[in-house]
Amino acid sequence: MRIAADRLLGLALIGLAAFIAVQSLQLQVPFSYEPVGPKAFPLGLAALLAVLSLVLVFKPGEDGEWPAPALALRLLGVLGLLLAYALLFTRLGFMPSSFLVVAALARLFGASWPKALVTGVLLAAGSDVLFTAGLDIGLPGGTWLADIL
Amino acid sequence: MFDFLIEGFGVALSPLNLGLAFLGALLGTLFGALPGIGPINGIAILMPLAYTLGLPAESALILLAGIYTGAEYGGRMSSILLNVPGDAGAVMTTLDGHPLAKQGLAGPALGLSAVSSFVGATIAIIGLTLFAPLLARVAVMFGPAEFFALMVFAFSSMAVMMGKDPIKTAIGAVLGVLIATVGVDGGTGVMRFTFGMPELYDGIDFVVMIIGLFAISEILLMLEHAHRRSGEDDMPPLGRVFVSLKEVLYCKGAMWRSGLLGFIIGVLPGTGASVAGAVSYTTEKRLSDKEGTFGKGDMRGLAAPEAANNASAAGSFVPMLTLGIPGSGTTAVLLGALMLYNITPGPMMFTERPEVAGGLIASLYIGNIVLLALNLPLAGVFARVLTIPRWVLVPAIAILAFVGVYQLHSDLTAIYLMLIIGVFGYLLRKLGFSLAPVILGYVLGGLMEQNLRRALSISGGDAGILWQSGISLGLWIAAAALLVLPWLLPKLLAGRSRRHAG
Repeated sequence: MRIAADRLLGLALIGLAAFIAVQSLQLQVPFSYEPVGPKAFPLGLAALLAVLSLVLVFKPGEDGEWPAPALALRLLGVLGLLLAYALLFTRLGFMPSSFLVVAALARLFGASWPKALVTGVLLAAGSDVLFTAGLDIGLPGGTWLADIL
Repeated sequence: MFDFLIEGFGVALSPLNLGLAFLGALLGTLFGALPGIGPINGIAILMPLAYTLGLPAESALILLAGIYTGAEYGGRMSSILLNVPGDAGAVMTTLDGHPLAKQGLAGPALGLSAVSSFVGATIAIIGLTLFAPLLARVAVMFGPAEFFALMVFAFSSMAVMMGKDPIKTAIGAVLGVLIATVGVDGGTGVMRFTFGMPELYDGIDFVVMIIGLFAISEILLMLEHAHRRSGEDDMPPLGRVFVSLKEVLYCKGAMWRSGLLGFIIGVLPGTGASVAGAVSYTTEKRLSDKEGTFGKGDMRGLAAPEAANNASAAGSFVPMLTLGIPGSGTTAVLLGALMLYNITPGPMMFTERPEVAGGLIASLYIGNIVLLALNLPLAGVFARVLTIPRWVLVPAIAILAFVGVYQLHSDLTAIYLMLIIGVFGYLLRKLGFSLAPVILGYVLGGLMEQNLRRALSISGGDAGILWQSGISLGLWIAAAALLVLPWLLPKLLAGRSRRHAG
């Protein structure tokens, strides 16, 4: 059997279906007059998912184009940046964290350093004005900064 | 019979709502024109901001519908100028649109596509006005069993119509429905799949879901396209800016035929602009391509899919407003948006909330005129949006996504959840899934389970109730027929479709 992305996906989904089924069966349901409780629907879905995934295992489609190692590394870089943005968002505050992440993202997407830095400044400051003054959204001011001051 | 429309125009013509229709059309066109961002991404990114404005339901819907129809207009820019369709619905537009642009007729091509879009949308909005109240009257007779059957029908029609891979469409829909089961079960108060996390008790937030699924996965996908050419290199000159009346009249047959066709396809649940564009293009080609000019820059080949695209966008409001079943991925997002306002679209909406149903339909009339007025003279300005480099676009999307999700509850859990869903969405797209069934399943999942359980509780657990009435039996048969046909048809056509697929 050829190892195809769809086969792996099918197997993973069958695992997911099994997990859902086990989780649903373990639900503690209080007594109720309703003929159908909260278990039946997810159980049915899990069964359906398992059947559909089996089809995928036996009749996989074409393998898609997967990123080359260099690109995969940059993908992880983008993900890492987004994660860093999430981590810094409330701690460092909206403006500084946005500036750093925007500049780094722009760099990853092919901007030169000066362009990336200018983009960072303009987008961070511009969106801060738009959100706080224009749309009246409260943005995080940064807990680290507050601690220092 | 048209009381709702009169009331609707009263709502839509208020200064606030007029302004929102205009704003939506403008933002939608801009977002639709941005490379790689189709209507659904545009709405996903802009929706949370619409909420922060604290608008009443009908105003928010008018804004979002404006963005939706505007994005359909804007999506044609990159198709015509760069041969890069902004979304699946615009694929057919490239076939004759881009050759026209290369012949130095980019300006007239953009103008013609605006006029065809206007004609197609107008036909469909009139159709919507006529048919929606009628369908709503039929739909009032629907009980839980009928609604359950209807949703099954919607999913199977989607699995078949979405094209290349019905199994993956079905899996996507099941995954979407499963995501909808997370949280407190309404019937019993039991926690399902929350794993002890209080943030999940209310289920996975709609905004988190669509921003993660669409915006974040789009950021990751864009990285792959970053190496490929960007708009700056080879944008053809626009040439003369206006399309001549003669050219428009030359295409009038293609426009109204495709408009009607697009409307009908849009009404079918689960089938959207991509199917409408493809069907109308092939139909028009068969009817009018006498000299073999289609595909080489025939104006009719551009007018047909453009009219059909926009007609199906308006047509997909019919099942959404009357039955609560979205006709496309984008209307599924709009449906979810309505649910956030505690409005469940369905037959009762025309009688109970006429200001919402009528206001939306009236605003579609207004928005359509606004779009034509914006797009004819400003095509050159919008075209410049295409040259925005990705290194500006991607960080801007990231900021909009983060702020949009953060402002919901001012907490970070939602942001982490959004990132996880984004990776999930990226993997699905790389594996050849379309996201429309996932979002449709997610939006309809809760209703589907409710209706199933309500039906079975009426019958005391007898599953027979699900196909007892004529309506539901018909829907089950139609759903089954749809699923069987793709297996049968290739055999009937003697392997013709297989050769095409190969």
